[in-house]
Amino acid sequence: MSHSDIYKDSVYFHYSPSFKYSVGLEIAKDDYFDDEYSFFRFTYLLNRKNTQNSQSNLYFQLGLDPENFDRHFYGLHGDWETRRWFVGFGYKESFNDIEDFSEKYLQFGIAPYLGKYGDLHTWLMIKTKKNSLGDSWSTYPVIKFFKGDFLIELGYNNKTRTDAHLMYRF
Amino acid sequence: MRLIYLILMFMASVIFAEKNHDSHEHHGHAVHQNDVYVDGNKFKLDKKRFDEFKKNLKDVQVAIINVQGMVCDFCARGIEKAFLKDTKVKKIDVDLENGKVVIAYSLNKKIEFKEIKEKILMNGQNATDYKLMKI
Repeated sequence: MSHSDIYKDSVYFHYSPSFKYSVGLEIAKDDYFDDEYSFFRFTYLLNRKNTQNSQSNLYFQLGLDPENFDRHFYGLHGDWETRRWFVGFGYKESFNDIEDFSEKYLQFGIAPYLGKYGDLHTWLMIKTKKNSLGDSWSTYPVIKFFKGDFLIELGYNNKTRTDAHLMYRF
Repeated sequence: MRLIYLILMFMASVIFAEKNHDSHEHHGHAVHQNDVYVDGNKFKLDKKRFDEFKKNLKDVQVAIINVQGMVCDFCARGIEKAFLKDTKVKKIDVDLENGKVVIAYSLNKKIEFKEIKEKILMNGQNATDYKLMKI
């Protein structure tokens, strides 16, 4: 998975031995602190509720720079989705040698059509997020496409520039 | 702000259009839905899709599995991958609309629901029950 926004560009490789948790390595180029580093990451599914038409998830995440233990983060993120609707949220506290910061976001989405398995699926979303290094909430549209094992999520506004996620499932 | 307003308006129009589309399509699809029978029991499945699945298949056992939490194509990919590792699985289809996974096994496969449940649970969904039929 790769991620890009005004604060950093990163690539994250992870492996899920079970649906309950995943472990991985994130390699980041931090534009705000002008630094490069990596995180060993661990994500644990705290709760999942499956129903016939919906799924909800709550995850705990942890990251630790193996070269500098002062640089680490932890957080919670969750979502609820049906085939039509999506609601997601996240909160993350990050620590380093220079300035600690937090990030939070809320995301709402709707699928404009319900594709069948194997079709191109589309989500139209609104994301609002705040990084404590910045001064205010940033709200912007996001469009998400996925087909097969490939997913792309793109958002843009004039404050945070692009917000992009790419994901491929092996 | 204007952009968000426009997006909300667009979303609302999409929902409205989709609702109308659903009600319009329902008559057409009603013929295809709810009319797959297994041992005399009606099983909610897209008949057109199921007929397509059965095409070119013979001497197989087909398991139709009810699955909860299968709301996303991307998330259901792991189910297909997990079952296709079994050489006795000839074909698999995922029906997101009806929450079903349909698997064609060779006749020499001893099908156990426990194994099916575990494979689906490993992907994060719950198999609640299943029906078997022979083709």
